[in-house]
Amino acid sequence: MRWKKLLFNWRVILLLIFIISSFASIYANGITYGLDISGGTAITVKLEKPVDSTTMDKVVNSLTNRINRLGVADVKVEPWGNEYIIVKVANVSAETVAGIKDTIEKQGVFYAAFNGEVFATGEDIVQVFAFQVEQSGTWHVPFQLSQSAAEKFARLALGKPNYPVDMFLDPPVNSLLVVSPDLYNTMLTKFNTPAPDALSLPERIKNAFNIDTLIYTNQTPDEIVKAAEGKELVVLVDVNGGLEKYLEEKNLNVRVVERGKGETDEELVVRTLGLYGPYSVSEGLTTGQASTNVEIKGSSPNMYLAQQEASVIAVVLASGSLPIKVHVEGTQFISAELGKDFKRQVLIAGIAALLMVGAIVYAHYRRFKIAIPVVSTSLSEIIIILGVAALIKWNLDLPSIAGIIAAIGTGVDQQIVITDELLGSREKTRITKRSGMLKRMGRAFFVILASATTTVVAMSFLFKFFVGGLRGFAFTTILGVLIGITITRPAYAEIAKFLLGEKR
Amino acid sequence: MELKFLKKLAEMEYKKMIMYPLIIFVAALLIIAVKPPTLGIDLAGGVVVTAQGINDSPENIEKYVQDKTGISVRAEGFSSLSGEKGVNIYAPVGSSPEEIIKVLEEKYPKARYAQSEVQPTFGKLAQRQGIKAIGYAFLGMAVVVFLFFRILIPSGTIIFSAISDMMIALSLMSLTGIELSQATIAALLMLIGYSVDSNILLTTKMLKRKEKDIEKAYFSAVSTGFTMSTTTLGALFALWAISTAQVIDQIASVLMFGLLADFMNTWVLNAGVLKWYLGRGEKQ
Repeated sequence: MRWKKLLFNWRVILLLIFIISSFASIYANGITYGLDISGGTAITVKLEKPVDSTTMDKVVNSLTNRINRLGVADVKVEPWGNEYIIVKVANVSAETVAGIKDTIEKQGVFYAAFNGEVFATGEDIVQVFAFQVEQSGTWHVPFQLSQSAAEKFARLALGKPNYPVDMFLDPPVNSLLVVSPDLYNTMLTKFNTPAPDALSLPERIKNAFNIDTLIYTNQTPDEIVKAAEGKELVVLVDVNGGLEKYLEEKNLNVRVVERGKGETDEELVVRTLGLYGPYSVSEGLTTGQASTNVEIKGSSPNMYLAQQEASVIAVVLASGSLPIKVHVEGTQFISAELGKDFKRQVLIAGIAALLMVGAIVYAHYRRFKIAIPVVSTSLSEIIIILGVAALIKWNLDLPSIAGIIAAIGTGVDQQIVITDELLGSREKTRITKRSGMLKRMGRAFFVILASATTTVVAMSFLFKFFVGGLRGFAFTTILGVLIGITITRPAYAEIAKFLLGEKR
Repeated sequence: MELKFLKKLAEMEYKKMIMYPLIIFVAALLIIAVKPPTLGIDLAGGVVVTAQGINDSPENIEKYVQDKTGISVRAEGFSSLSGEKGVNIYAPVGSSPEEIIKVLEEKYPKARYAQSEVQPTFGKLAQRQGIKAIGYAFLGMAVVVFLFFRILIPSGTIIFSAISDMMIALSLMSLTGIELSQATIAALLMLIGYSVDSNILLTTKMLKRKEKDIEKAYFSAVSTGFTMSTTTLGALFALWAISTAQVIDQIASVLMFGLLADFMNTWVLNAGVLKWYLGRGEKQ
């Protein structure tokens, strides 16, 4: 009879409903874990300078699009404050991570030039279609040009088959390249198409971007300063770094490009200029007819490389121009196995902590009737928090778990407050009427409400103003406290009232 | 024993109750001023490689990595109750974590590795955000506490005791060598919640007491508070003892420090102030 009464108490029913739907939610949606638990790579990207939220959105969207085009399944691009972006990728190979880093850093302004004459920029690329790769390693990237760019190209290319088309991503515009004689030779000979009258690469970049190339033969720094007059930037390509300091002292903007491990001259030139190409123009395009649907064709030694190269070109074409420069600042790699270990540990440690709570509560009150409800109420709180997290697909990361611990900890505290008020009312004034107990419960709930409000307000600040890891902490703490005061605590009070009142 | 201890607290003179915690607070400030807690790599910048399942001494690993790569590293061992051992290898900003993992894999192919690399500028930002976070959380807490009680001295004491909890926890972190990181900042934030819990309990019981006797009201509150603190401390101890995850260990330790401080600040300092405050009212 009494049990029935408890079971039909609406607070208890509410708790039961929530527990059952939480199980259903966890079962149906599964729990999404954060990177620090499930394993993966976090790449920290720094913007050139702090930006407002609209610009930030643009950068985030653009990066997301471009990384998605690389075919990586699970990528999250999250802003972190107004100057950083964190790119999170679930378990992928180290090569893929390197590819993503490349793509992030290779952002910037896109140019397409015909024989040293720019005919299109990123804005002229209307659409990039799916690329095709053939068994032989030949690939095609079809795309749509704007009408004006197509017309300009038609005019430039008229009667000039086999002339070179270069594409550039973020070339060092209006600069002085300082290169070794060998490197200069490579620029002259390795970047030509079968059109004898076409310009050489140094001439083409001079025409297109006002980039002068200086052969470094141990000139004095002053001579270089003189040559750099009117330039925005001096690029030292694999030449003695001692120049850097001197030039910087002369208030010149200096960029040092060092040769990477095993990098060939050709690769070095390509990297320095952000060059893709040259591609030679086929005869069909030199009739003066403007065509907006064009394609870039190339060939690689095998299908796998072709796939890669085509996807990079497609991404470069589609990138348009990011509103601001970005660069990769750090990476964080967590192995999936380590994460799995961690999950198990949290589970075991959590259960141990709960049992400990039960044991200590029992030691204090010497009553299972208190210890068991306290532990099971906390357990149901955890289940409901996880259920809600699963429902909204919240990424459960380390700080979120810390938040759950915080919520459960304060929860246990509050249950003890309720218990003591109940016991106190029973022990001291057995004769007082029910109203006495209600008053005491009211006081317990004042304490609970005051501390819950405080925690929620304090954590709301965190949640609203921060975007880093601490946000997860704030979220689960608030969630836990809210669930506590609305669902689990009232139910616990009913259950405790029932169990403790039974003896009377 | 528990009862005796609590009774003794209840009978203590308020002057002493206020003075001792204040002395400890000042000592904590001095410790922080002399030796602030070291910053974790997520705040200071740097490289860390974690290897789990290596059964070798940190010194050996340190020497091995240094000999092979020439990077000056610092290794710290950790282990769990289940007996599994692991090591954290710290390297200065700019060194390559891949290189360290590569040489380690040659010698310990079975271990599991994780790496992080944080630039100092990013660390600075995280640092600023952390400080701001604590500031905002405090502000929010202070406003709400004040709105609930609307009396200057009791609300002020609650806020002060939260500050003191945090400072004592920080000073103990510096003494025990626990780094200030995003995780421990989260723990310091948690302290606000716990501290407010116990202090509100005490203040409510004292201000809205049914009992005429201040000491009785205090005794009833401190019994509950003692149960609360020991329960939470026990749970945290279990967390700390069982997990090998450094983050969880650190969070648990910082919270234990803070809760010990909170026990003092609530049940001695705040109680002392309230005794004095209420006693003064009665005299008038």
